[in-house]
Amino acid sequence: MSELFGTRYFEFIASSYAITALVLMAMVVWVLLTQRSRRRQIASLEEAGIRRASRQKAKSP
Amino acid sequence: MSVTSANAAPTGLAALANPTRFLALVARVLPFLWVLTVAVLAVGLWMSFNVPDDYQQGRTVRIMFVHVPAVWMAMGAYMVMVSGALGVLVWRHPLADVAARAAAPFGAAFTFLGLATGSIWGRPMWGTWWVWDARLTSFLLLLIIYLGLLALWNAIEEPARAARLAAVAILVGALNIPIIKFSVDWFTTLHQPASVTRLDGPTLAPEFLYPLLVMGLAFLLLFTTLHLMAMRNEILRRQIRTLQRKMARSVGQGARKSWKVRA
Repeated sequence: MSELFGTRYFEFIASSYAITALVLMAMVVWVLLTQRSRRRQIASLEEAGIRRASRQKAKSP
Repeated sequence: MSVTSANAAPTGLAALANPTRFLALVARVLPFLWVLTVAVLAVGLWMSFNVPDDYQQGRTVRIMFVHVPAVWMAMGAYMVMVSGALGVLVWRHPLADVAARAAAPFGAAFTFLGLATGSIWGRPMWGTWWVWDARLTSFLLLLIIYLGLLALWNAIEEPARAARLAAVAILVGALNIPIIKFSVDWFTTLHQPASVTRLDGPTLAPEFLYPLLVMGLAFLLLFTTLHLMAMRNEILRRQIRTLQRKMARSVGQGARKSWKVRA
């Protein structure tokens, strides 16, 4: 009986785990992609000679 | 990024007011958090698949192990935003707004997940994907509040102004949290009443409770890890904004100088 019950609703169980996996992975990928683009932006600004105040102090007065 | 500083180091939350120190701490704890998250999630999934069938729900009880943690995190992320809002309005902690803003997208995602898995669970168990009862409607409202807050943050360019406005909006929206929690007690709902977070202790059988708690911990760890990374991203966004303004100023000064030389 339970075997029948289990197989009967298999698609509901599988799809809820699938959508969970999808949403969790999407969050991870979004964070990593944002991180990459922000780091690149900072690097290109620093390459253009714009320094953060905290780093400027390190230079000669 | 070095954190060695000649200044007397403040402790506790005050120490984290310095973004450089916060970023250094994040860089140090993230690898451990990732390992822990993956490990607990693996154990939680293994436990979820090895539970016996429920006498009423059969195998669909397994949907609980993703649905309930998602809902917990949807509300947990909102509580992080509430403490961020208080941090902005009461203590003016520089990272409070960063914390609140970074939690919002995950809160929205977990709320969506709670609604989606709940709907998939409702179809075989209740015979319907959706019903406008108090629990489901107030939870849908939570998603709308999250999206509204995200829109508010995106609409206001100046971070300090956005922070205060959003903090007030977060506190107003927080009224919905107790409504979600107690809707199943106050109103007649199709959704079942609480079975874990009850004053008289959980009524869930241990063979279902333990996998649920482990999955809950896994979701909490994942949220914490991603939240720290998103806070770091938000700090980077503000640094980019400062650098861009600096560049605009230096370009302006350069233009003035060259104008003087020509004059």
